[in-house]
Amino acid sequence: MKDHAWFPIAYMFLITAIPTALLIGLAHYTQPRVDANAQIAFEKAVIMATLPATDPTLRGLALHKLFVERINTQTNAAAGAYRLMDGDAVKAYAIPFAGKGFWDAIKGVIAVAPDRTTVVGFYVYEQSETPGLGAEISQPWFRAQFQNKTLAAGDLPITFRRRGEPLGPHDVETVTGGTQTSVRLERLVNQACDQWRAAMPSGATP
Amino acid sequence: MSPPAKKLTYTNVTLEAIWYNNPIFRQILGICSTLAVTNLVLNTIVMCVALIVVTGLTSLTVSSLRNLTPRNIRMMVETLIMAFYVIIVDIALRAYWPEMSSNLGPFVGLIITNCILMGRSEAFAIVNRPLISMVDGVASGIGYSMVLLVIATAREIFGMGTFLGVPVPFFSGPYWDRWVIMVMPPGAFFMLAVAIWIFRSISTDTEEKSS
Amino acid sequence: MNFSTQIAQAVVICFAAMFTGNILLTTFLGMCSFLACSREVKTAVGLGAAVVFVMTCTTILNWVMYWLVLVPLHIEFYRYILFIIVIAAFVQFIEMVIERYSPPLYYTLGIFLPLITVNCAILGAALFMVIRKYTFIETIGYGFGSGVGWMLAIVSMAGIRQKMAVNRIPKGLQGPGITLIIAGLMALGFIGFTGVLQGQ
Repeated sequence: MKDHAWFPIAYMFLITAIPTALLIGLAHYTQPRVDANAQIAFEKAVIMATLPATDPTLRGLALHKLFVERINTQTNAAAGAYRLMDGDAVKAYAIPFAGKGFWDAIKGVIAVAPDRTTVVGFYVYEQSETPGLGAEISQPWFRAQFQNKTLAAGDLPITFRRRGEPLGPHDVETVTGGTQTSVRLERLVNQACDQWRAAMPSGATP
Repeated sequence: MSPPAKKLTYTNVTLEAIWYNNPIFRQILGICSTLAVTNLVLNTIVMCVALIVVTGLTSLTVSSLRNLTPRNIRMMVETLIMAFYVIIVDIALRAYWPEMSSNLGPFVGLIITNCILMGRSEAFAIVNRPLISMVDGVASGIGYSMVLLVIATAREIFGMGTFLGVPVPFFSGPYWDRWVIMVMPPGAFFMLAVAIWIFRSISTDTEEKSS
Repeated sequence: MNFSTQIAQAVVICFAAMFTGNILLTTFLGMCSFLACSREVKTAVGLGAAVVFVMTCTTILNWVMYWLVLVPLHIEFYRYILFIIVIAAFVQFIEMVIERYSPPLYYTLGIFLPLITVNCAILGAALFMVIRKYTFIETIGYGFGSGVGWMLAIVSMAGIRQKMAVNRIPKGLQGPGITLIIAGLMALGFIGFTGVLQGQ
């Protein structure tokens, strides 16, 4: 049978078709999980930014429950921000930011108090920066800096300063060796805050 | 340099693949796909496990089909089989361990072009029985992983002061200035060169002693 | 993005791919042929030129295949197989064309083409292009820049090794060992290009 002319072609066809069918099946089967993972990653970012004291190992269903309980997802009423609720009162606004980092996309959330100036928390949930350098923006030390900083009025709500420079109430320290990542992150965060503040209806908080 | 033709026993095949014919410091094959992730030991472990599994399964499958596969299309068939297993690993990682999947980036997919896979398929699996081919594949993967783990350990400890994410006593303290270069690409090159130097020196020493 | 910003982005990406994000010196792709064929400048230039050509063309072809075929059909995972097939087919095709129309060129360049099929850098460039979601114009810049970057690395390495051919090197370090150390020093040097062009 091997010597017939059609055998190689039939063989190639089978050896391509069967694995492909299996792979399509596997991809299909895992797709809901992949989508759920992406959704959970975002929810985690919102929770960790608005409630910085949350246990960082919280994941899966418990995290999702917390998100559903506490976060108001009607973003249209708050200029695109998610709101941390305590009953009927707004405790924090979670402003998502996303854009191009040095290598690839950086996505995160910065949470601001109802006074629209004090920063409650900060969390990066997607980045592909260099480990040990740019990727430090996901580390606890970098995130913790943002708590209790205030957004300056005007164009530059948060300024990233090099290590060694004095840090004022609107400043955070950049990552040493991750200059390009820091520059881009600064731009993303500031753009998001600016746009949000401009779009928020002035006066009473919704 | 190579020992004279030995019988194809499981022990001989394993020793051959792990030491005498080690893919990295003897054949200098397949470094591309994994060197980039050696800055963290955890990432390296995951990549190496993936490679061992894929090489073992590929060698097993190629060997099982060796009498059926027409000669002139065998390389394409080998490539398809490798790609199949790699894609399964990629899909599984993306679904069950998304942070690791995004850390490893495209390098899981690049296992397909890893010369070790093609090398073992062409040199061994296509002419030998399934079980011993699988042993050869797994052993090659282990030999490969051994060297890479040494490199990754050095890079992570000297460069970040941690091992598997856990801070190491002296290197994470205030008296050690982290060698940032270890975290960056040049560090990988230097460590690989040093690893090859060390392993080759040990290897030639033991060979000279035994001859 | 309008056309002129895309072109500007493509130039920045091209520059970054050549120097700061050099596909060989920062992502370690294409090492096997790099270590094996970098002894003489002549061979290195030949191989490098072939890589530039193949890389530019195949990244563009792969962009088309990915965004116009795989994505609409929701079989993105298939890209690993499809890209390899495209690369192998393209190289085979080019080899036939060169052999038919220019035997002298085939004699100098054509022998490298089979080597390129297994060069992980070509597949790697296509995979990075997918991950970073480059547009068509950016892909042209990226493919060309990566190729030239790889060529720069291998030609420089060949030049250095030719000069070092008479030096005494410890036994364990001869061959790949010293080549890797030189590569490390080159990688260190290329890092110095960071920040030269705004935005990379």
